[in-house]
Amino acid sequence: MDSLSARLPQTYEARSQRGRLREAMVRVAAAKGYEATTVEDVIEFAGVSRETFEAEFDGKEECFLEAYETVFDILITHVTSGFEAAAGDPWPERVVALLRALVEMLSVEAEIARMAMVEVTAAGEDARERYRAMLGRFTPFLEEGRGYSGQGDDLPADTARFAIGGATSMIFDEIRAGRGPELKRILPDLVFAVLMPYLGPEAAEDEMRRVAREG
Amino acid sequence: MGKRAATNVLAGAEGTGMTREAEALPHAPKLELVKSSKREKILEGMLEEVGAKGYDATSVRTVLDRTGLYRQAFYDHFDDKDGCYLAAFDAGVARAEALVAAAAASRQDWRERLRAGLGALLDHFDSEPDVGRALVVEVHAAGPRALAKRAETMKKTVDFIDLARLESEQGEAPPKIAAEGVVAGIHAVIHSRLSTGATDGFRTLLPEFMYFAVLPYFGAEMASAEMAAAHERAGLDS
Repeated sequence: MDSLSARLPQTYEARSQRGRLREAMVRVAAAKGYEATTVEDVIEFAGVSRETFEAEFDGKEECFLEAYETVFDILITHVTSGFEAAAGDPWPERVVALLRALVEMLSVEAEIARMAMVEVTAAGEDARERYRAMLGRFTPFLEEGRGYSGQGDDLPADTARFAIGGATSMIFDEIRAGRGPELKRILPDLVFAVLMPYLGPEAAEDEMRRVAREG
Repeated sequence: MGKRAATNVLAGAEGTGMTREAEALPHAPKLELVKSSKREKILEGMLEEVGAKGYDATSVRTVLDRTGLYRQAFYDHFDDKDGCYLAAFDAGVARAEALVAAAAASRQDWRERLRAGLGALLDHFDSEPDVGRALVVEVHAAGPRALAKRAETMKKTVDFIDLARLESEQGEAPPKIAAEGVVAGIHAVIHSRLSTGATDGFRTLLPEFMYFAVLPYFGAEMASAEMAAAHERAGLDS
């Protein structure tokens, strides 16, 4: 699989100062943490002047938010293609394909995963709001599961948020513990957490075991 | 549910649904680990300030402004903002735990204890949303030590949830990861409500939370029944 940096827009934008600053922000915030990151770090990494930074962004937060959106767009595009490539398969298997694509990408680019899944929660209200909106983009993939659930319309309104919350928290813990590169190891757990609210524990466990066997 | 049973449930539910009066209840302790009233005031002020303004925008100065105390009072008890927040986090969690424990104390089985305890927690968030935000949302902005404390709290909650395993049918217990999924999922819904400021009526989330928690251990049928019963009780309460 291509690395995420190879997927960052390579056309004139990535060569632009703004694009370089954005990528520098991703790298620095992932390595140092959002709190400790300074504009100084970012311009040094990008090799541009402070004037250039100030001409492009109002400050660290704006740069972070834009960098964050770029990264998450790439992530969601990749994950969506995992789900769609499995078109025709039953919904649980498409969800497995989606989760597999997610952990693959996050484990290849552990630093970027850290920025997109961990540091974003420390970066203030605007960043959190964007994080919520981004995670919400996974909802349509999951809501199809209502049709597979015996409960149908009786399923709680927050089922997708519950499922996504369970999975993202497990990913968050792994990345924080420095196990981002081995994220694939928790794929079976993620499968259980996401399918369980829709399919119930038994069917979710069957899928989980199948995924664990297949690796 | 029969009328009699419903009445019993309501009678047993004292302590939940009324935490707005929690201050006056003997089982609702004040912030713990408190050695002086000034220290207590600062801890409360810290949680309220962080919840209202966000961790980054909070400073020793703004906490003092809120509490009306002098700088010396702060530095008598804390080294800096970070240290104060960590102590306030501990105190806030201890308070929430005590409310949950008090509500669950008289209950027998896991589901009843969860229903009462979770209800008390949601009431707590309803009556003090700023404190809820300071503990659940802003902890992410408060650095690695705060995150470690958060992880400990989550772990304790996971361990409680997983006690359901002891009551589920032989051979029917879900994989170990189930409890983590339940806690993280419920946490995500609460986190989202707290951070969007949609803080009215956490209590109304109890039925669906019960569904999510009961489902992995006892199956869909019992989870649905639990949700329906919680809705019914909510209707009786209002």
